[in-house]
Amino acid sequence: MATFMEAEISLSMFLFTRPDYDPVTKYLSAWSSILIEEARTKAIEIIDLVGVKANRKEFEGRLKKKEPSLVILNGHGNDDCVTGQDEEPLVDVGENSKILAGCVTYAVSCNSATRLGREVGVHPNTAYVGYEKKFSFMHTHGFFKRPEDDPAARPFMEFSNQVVRGLIKGHTAQESIHRAKEVGELHLRKLESSLSDPNVQMAAAFLWRDISHLVVHGEGDKKAI
Amino acid sequence: MSTQNVDKKMSDEEVRKLVVARLSVLSPDMYIAVGSDGSFSRDELIQRVEANDEIGKEIADIQLEWLRSWKQRLA
Repeated sequence: MATFMEAEISLSMFLFTRPDYDPVTKYLSAWSSILIEEARTKAIEIIDLVGVKANRKEFEGRLKKKEPSLVILNGHGNDDCVTGQDEEPLVDVGENSKILAGCVTYAVSCNSATRLGREVGVHPNTAYVGYEKKFSFMHTHGFFKRPEDDPAARPFMEFSNQVVRGLIKGHTAQESIHRAKEVGELHLRKLESSLSDPNVQMAAAFLWRDISHLVVHGEGDKKAI
Repeated sequence: MSTQNVDKKMSDEEVRKLVVARLSVLSPDMYIAVGSDGSFSRDELIQRVEANDEIGKEIADIQLEWLRSWKQRLA
């Protein structure tokens, strides 16, 4: 029985893209490194396209060959695409978005849930989770080498990472978004309790914006595990 | 002043002044990553808002959305 369960669990595979060439991508990459550790403790196989490996050739090749159930895209983006290292487009509207068919995708990227997410979401058995506006966060100068320890960025990290934590737990894409928004609201309430601090006031505004514009397209009841 | 009144009565210039005032009290070591546009210091953001460029408009938009949300959140 144990062997059967282990075999069943080992079927899960997640793919992360983690460009790390500027402050924003360094932060997102560090946030995902925490998720990678957590996923590995659940015996989930990880494809980690970090730094220069976050390029289109590697991305398409690994995706086609390994068929991961969850794709986490960290990087700059816009309505039409999400990019990898040095802003190389990895997924583009009208070009290769079909490559995400059959997966749950979570894009920690700006605006991609507008056009790209909608295009991906039309495929059967597919969910695309992302943001309809710019994904923004606060951070503190001096934490570039250890972004995961930056207290100013922590509420944003916990909110964003909760999407993947929900999927790791076997929740649907929609449930994972719902829980992430609850976690975000929890951090928002904590921030609101110290509104005399102007840094906190500003952080609350940006966190609220991110929470408000996190959406799923396609099949919200799709699971990654 | 209610947030509805903020929407109805504040001019663009008044909104910019409000946002600059909010930004100016941030700690100098605090940065804001504005999506794909990069990461900006307090002083850089103040310049952007005063110049009313795309980043400045985005920041002002976020601040106004936040103020509007208070009406719903307190209801």
